[in-house]
Amino acid sequence: MNRYCVFIMSLSVLVLSGCVSHPQTAEEFRKAVPSAFSAKVETFEVDRPFSQVSSTFQKMGSNCLAKTIKTTSQTNMSYQVIVTTYKPTVVVTGKKAELHVQMHHDQGVVNVSKEPYGGYYLLVADAQPISKTRTRIELYRPSMGHGVLIQAVKNWATGENIGCPDLTK
Amino acid sequence: MLSIWTAGLLPGCSETRTYPNTLDKNLHVHTATDSGSWFSRVRAAVDIHHVREDCALDYEGTVQLADRRIDIGLPAHRWKYLVFVFASSSFPANRNGTITYETLLKARPNYHYQVVVQYKDDMYHVGIRETLPTQSTGREIEPLQLSACRSSAGRK
Repeated sequence: MNRYCVFIMSLSVLVLSGCVSHPQTAEEFRKAVPSAFSAKVETFEVDRPFSQVSSTFQKMGSNCLAKTIKTTSQTNMSYQVIVTTYKPTVVVTGKKAELHVQMHHDQGVVNVSKEPYGGYYLLVADAQPISKTRTRIELYRPSMGHGVLIQAVKNWATGENIGCPDLTK
Repeated sequence: MLSIWTAGLLPGCSETRTYPNTLDKNLHVHTATDSGSWFSRVRAAVDIHHVREDCALDYEGTVQLADRRIDIGLPAHRWKYLVFVFASSSFPANRNGTITYETLLKARPNYHYQVVVQYKDDMYHVGIRETLPTQSTGREIEPLQLSACRSSAGRK
């Protein structure tokens, strides 16, 4: 099962479990994730000042996630092309940095519910300072698939092995 | 069946040509790729585009980053748009994907550009450092998106 199947299943579960439409804002996404079967909230703390975490979110979010990706899969009987556009949004206020990641399928996937502007919410990461040197991260994320994206966002928070995720994986 | 066959052929129709790498070498690309699996492969390349005054792009050619170090010559004083391409393929699933890292770059005369291109554990990194021949450290060049050119051209 590839990650697109997982994503579509996740969407269906999110929609069906609450009998409501898909989250249309980051705040709606935060509220929907704890009760969703295929998503979870992960909280952890990093030994890094809030200012560094938020600047990494800003830099890496725009450099790594504002992408349109094309993947092809081919078997003897089928040829599938999926084009996906990812949209990162970083919102920084004095005491909070938010990274929102949305995805929109330009080709190859049929949407099952109303899509918000910019695409379905895939991940939201909130960073808040605990002290001058420590920051708390709340990660609202899929529990199946998108492991590379999740790991990249965690690395941006910790400051270790900072790189861009290969979103084709 | 015909449509599958046609679709299979179409990707091969895209015109890729080798960059005419004839100028003095000032861009030194150090590449390390590791797909992390016997069943997948990652290839890196860089597409080089000339940037016109109106920010339109003219594709000049591609350099395959097949060796650990490749030296490329870029003209000074000219804006170029570099597209680093990581093309992954896996089998037996027969799945292909491409992800890119883009930046504008205007080479300065007498300066050299050390480029690190890495792909490991499904993560990639491209870093560009500008140095003088007598320096070893230099300064890091932040990626500059094409939109920066467009907004600059719009103000003129």
